[in-house]
Amino acid sequence: MDDLVVETRDLTKRYGNHVAAVDGLTMRVRRGEVYGFLGPNGAGKTTTLRMLLGLVRPSSGQALVLGSRPGSPEALARTGALIETPTFYPFLSGRDNLRVLARHSGVRESRVPAALDEVGLVESAGRRFETYSLGMKQRLGIAAALVKDPDLLVLDEPTNGMDPAGMAEMRAFVRGLGRGRRTVLLSSHLMTEVEQTCDRVGVISRGRLVGEGTVDELRGGEQLWLRADPVERAEQVLRALRGIGQVARVDGGLRVAAGAAAAPAVARALVEAGVALAELRPERASLETVFLELTGEATA
Amino acid sequence: MRGSVAAELLVARRRPSTWILLGTWTLLALVFAYAVPYVQYLNGSSRRPLDDVLPQHLVAQLMAGFPFFGGVFALQLGVLALGSEYGWGTLRTLLTQRPGRLSIFAAKMAGLALTLVPFVLVVDAAGALASYGIALREGAGVSWPSAWLLLRGLGAGWLILAAWAAFGVLLAALSRGTSLAIGIGILYSLVVEGLLSALASEVGLLDRLVQLFLRANGYSLVAALGVSPADTGDRGPGSFSGPFVSGGQALVVLSAYLVVLLAASGWLLQRRDVT
Repeated sequence: MDDLVVETRDLTKRYGNHVAAVDGLTMRVRRGEVYGFLGPNGAGKTTTLRMLLGLVRPSSGQALVLGSRPGSPEALARTGALIETPTFYPFLSGRDNLRVLARHSGVRESRVPAALDEVGLVESAGRRFETYSLGMKQRLGIAAALVKDPDLLVLDEPTNGMDPAGMAEMRAFVRGLGRGRRTVLLSSHLMTEVEQTCDRVGVISRGRLVGEGTVDELRGGEQLWLRADPVERAEQVLRALRGIGQVARVDGGLRVAAGAAAAPAVARALVEAGVALAELRPERASLETVFLELTGEATA
Repeated sequence: MRGSVAAELLVARRRPSTWILLGTWTLLALVFAYAVPYVQYLNGSSRRPLDDVLPQHLVAQLMAGFPFFGGVFALQLGVLALGSEYGWGTLRTLLTQRPGRLSIFAAKMAGLALTLVPFVLVVDAAGALASYGIALREGAGVSWPSAWLLLRGLGAGWLILAAWAAFGVLLAALSRGTSLAIGIGILYSLVVEGLLSALASEVGLLDRLVQLFLRANGYSLVAALGVSPADTGDRGPGSFSGPFVSGGQALVVLSAYLVVLLAASGWLLQRRDVT
């Protein structure tokens, strides 16, 4: 129980009589991990994060953040958050915006320079927020989340609006945050971001968690893909072969549920049966394929 | 809580609109309380004796502007204090900091209450300087109101502004923004309170209703400090010629406005989702 930083059970948010934005979501984020919350736009990611921060009240279900009620001073004191676009006072400098938040949080203002330094904003800290580029605003949002030196970081699409170099830098930064004692809950609709950054991934679609695990677990076991002639005979031979799982016809070839180690045996069996083997290679489902299958957005 | 109030004061101090409202309010108060009456006196108007603009009448001369003109400025300040947070989206940033929603709201209101203090002090100081300057120019004797009257004037001015600011806060909480809240607030102060107050003397049923208005209680409070009802009936859109209530009743009603409006705003903030 102590290892769970975020725990939800059947968390649901309905707006009026419309379809639930979040529908019976049960998820667990463990201490010290970078948890990716992956889903298409409108899947319910931001609503879920808002419920975990106490900004939005659940219609039903339960949630615990760092062992406390979401939005309680106990939970918020140890949580840093960046929800959607960073929002600050436009007429205040980056530094003064952080000073305001530090005062509200009861944190020493000496934390402000450290937080600015962590995101590389020291030189621009004296400029008014309204003059910042989108990338700088995003960095200030991360700095604001870090001012409290929190145990849990909730980051909603943190690379929004960043150029490719900035995105890569931010991903490395988030990855680094997760290597310490901090837990990071990161929402994104970008597969590469989640794949490169997260220890575990929860896939959300239409308000429901449709898959959860490490990236490897989600992508499933290794498979073999082959092209042979005649394909009917090849399928017959492989179905009779020991140590082979499912065999399926895909795009004129065959997909075989077996690891790369089984490739020699597969090749030998086919050749001995007089089948012409044109191509044989190990294959693994990409996270994108898994994501599209899980969210039901794969094209027929 | 002290840290949150300090944060709110930092924001108020750096916010350009605070200074624009303070400057405009001070300028208008000086123009209508001193410049116009003095020019009228210089032009030989019998309705404007020199005494009105001399230091001895400082409290009465300035206080007459608080119930309406000052109120409209305070209304805008109240709207901006909460409504801007919705507009900029900073409310969700604040609410994900450590204190709970009500603590944040309480800090915002404490910050607003303290921000209103200069709105009274600066106008009083500017009025004192203006009246002193006029006395020197006219070679009139300078005698100041008693400290007790000055203190009561400051307190009454603050309470009137605070009640209007609280009204602005509620409108901002209801509309979750600034534009609609300011529009409705000014419309209410001008049309609803203004027109109904003007009709009160002709329609008996309105009389009791008008006695509950911010305008009636504001003018009644300043009347208790020496503002002549004859003067308040001739102030353009801010005119008020009754019905007046006692100073004590006005004090209670304005205080009740302050408490009820802030409680309703806090309840709304606590209850609603912040998206």
